[in-house]
Amino acid sequence: MIKNICFIICTSFFVLACTEDIDFDQARDFEINPVIESSLVFFNENANEFLINGNEISAFQDFVIVDIFNDQFIIDNLVKTEFKFETVNSINRDFELQVDFLDNNSQLQHTFTFIQEASTNNNDVFSSYTETFEDVTLEALKRTSVLIFTLRILPGQTINENSLGRIELKSLAAFYFNIRDDS
Amino acid sequence: MLALCCVSFSQNKQILYGFSEIPQSLILNPGGEVNNDWYFGIPLLSHIHINGGTSGATIYDVFANDGIDFNTKLQNAVNKMNSKDFFSINQQLEIFSGGFAFGRTYEKNEYLSFGLYQELDVISYFPKDYAILALEGNQNNINRVFNADHFSANAELISVFHVGYNKKVNKNFTYGFRGKIYSSLINLNSTKNRGTFVTELGDNNFYNHIFDLSLQLRTSGIVSLTEDSSEFETKDLTKRILFGGNLGLGFDVGFTKKITKQWTLDASLLDVGFITHSKDVENYSVQGNYNFEGINPFFPETESGQTADEYWSEIEEDFEELFTPDTTNTTYTTWRPIKFNTSINYAFGKKREKDCNCIKDESGYLNAAGLQLFAMSRPKQPQIALTAYYYRRLFKGLSAKAIYTIDSYSFNNLGLGISANLGNVNFYLMADNFLQYKNIYNAQSVSLQLGFNYIFSKNED
Repeated sequence: MIKNICFIICTSFFVLACTEDIDFDQARDFEINPVIESSLVFFNENANEFLINGNEISAFQDFVIVDIFNDQFIIDNLVKTEFKFETVNSINRDFELQVDFLDNNSQLQHTFTFIQEASTNNNDVFSSYTETFEDVTLEALKRTSVLIFTLRILPGQTINENSLGRIELKSLAAFYFNIRDDS
Repeated sequence: MLALCCVSFSQNKQILYGFSEIPQSLILNPGGEVNNDWYFGIPLLSHIHINGGTSGATIYDVFANDGIDFNTKLQNAVNKMNSKDFFSINQQLEIFSGGFAFGRTYEKNEYLSFGLYQELDVISYFPKDYAILALEGNQNNINRVFNADHFSANAELISVFHVGYNKKVNKNFTYGFRGKIYSSLINLNSTKNRGTFVTELGDNNFYNHIFDLSLQLRTSGIVSLTEDSSEFETKDLTKRILFGGNLGLGFDVGFTKKITKQWTLDASLLDVGFITHSKDVENYSVQGNYNFEGINPFFPETESGQTADEYWSEIEEDFEELFTPDTTNTTYTTWRPIKFNTSINYAFGKKREKDCNCIKDESGYLNAAGLQLFAMSRPKQPQIALTAYYYRRLFKGLSAKAIYTIDSYSFNNLGLGISANLGNVNFYLMADNFLQYKNIYNAQSVSLQLGFNYIFSKNED
């Protein structure tokens, strides 16, 4: 008896309640495309910083070990990367920055170099450079675990204690993701 | 209007409140009027309550089969909502309940009720800034401050054992209170997140990324379920329901005051109580500040002969220190959401029965109308709802109550409840938001209560 009443009343409730067409399978189309930008390397040094004991040092090199590019999330979802550089030079010398990408076994996967022109009158000379990683180069980036930075002051008028000007470099990395359900 | 500034619904059982034919109305006001001599709830069927709601996007908004790209709909839903929008689920199941009148035999004016019910309560605010960061990233949001407090959620599964006392002091005044012992089976609590993340234009480099975070998730009853070596069995669940979980105490109070023959005022305060989580506790926290402007590979600031890699390793360590959650097992306390109900009621329309001279005061009127106010504490802001109702005794043993409730997102909440007595068996069923039932997936709130009791009233005709 109780069950019958309950059944009748409950069903009438749900008969009264209607639905319109919905499709939960759409969730499989879920896709987001965030772009994360992060500061990378920088420096801002006067001409006399390129001297040791009064003698010009024309090349600086250092490396960093990074494991972020081998992270599974990055490998699965990163679809494009850009390294953007902006440089300002007021020293009367060209300079170049070279970035090498090495894998775990110190094998070179990728490299690029860009040149900033000299400033003949010690006024600021601006330059910018973008390295884009897509497809093959992106795969190379995902194998990278060591970055080597090399800064070279290219041949020209020797720098001494009295040389004017400075070199400034700013950079960022833009990571383009495509996150979706690939199952 | 007060109700305009706050979203509401959830545990508001506005139809059941004051519906004194139904014994479970005493749960909403321990000082309510009682008009039975004793009752017991049909075990597991005496009170079934389900409520789900969203103050923001509905299921239909996101999943409608309308040919529009799913991600467009998702994006629109995210844009439409703010961090004060929330999703909530509240479910209750009475396991057993009963009550009986006592006192002097000729006028039993005291009433003792008791029971055990299970309750699931989940609330999650919409984490707007987290969603924007996940959808867009920071590239187009330079200088936008992402707020960590946008993530706020609480989920609890508890059982409540309660004993209530109700006394009709005189024909104009009734009061009551109820003691409660809570046993928490599962709790997840993350309502104290603070801090910000912002990407600003930097001084030395393009950007300065500033992290200032204080995040916290507290859990109890979870680890024993999720551990690989978990030997959790159903009998453990039964044990937790019967005082084997993390325990807490609380109380309810309420009264009913007859102002005139026809006007009545009542109010109740429910679930003033806490739960202490000490067993099976695992808490996680992320605390700290960090500014990141990039690295200077050739001229490290420290000038202590540090190589770029050492410099970078230090940064990596700092990051790890910031983002690796600290895990603790510290006892914590949660407060139950306090609920407040009050109503003013006007009874009218006397029953005209020529062959009866035994009309009691309470049953003398066939109709009642009134206003009810409901308020409830929630992590971000209280929820408030105002209800107007009309109650009618249709015929012997059958009464109905229709309600209209307003709050900030809905001005069209109509509901209906009935209580029917068939012999000594009482059945009740109530639901609100009828207008939204035409497309239930587009409903922002759906609420349903039903139950069966066995009631004995010797005063009945």
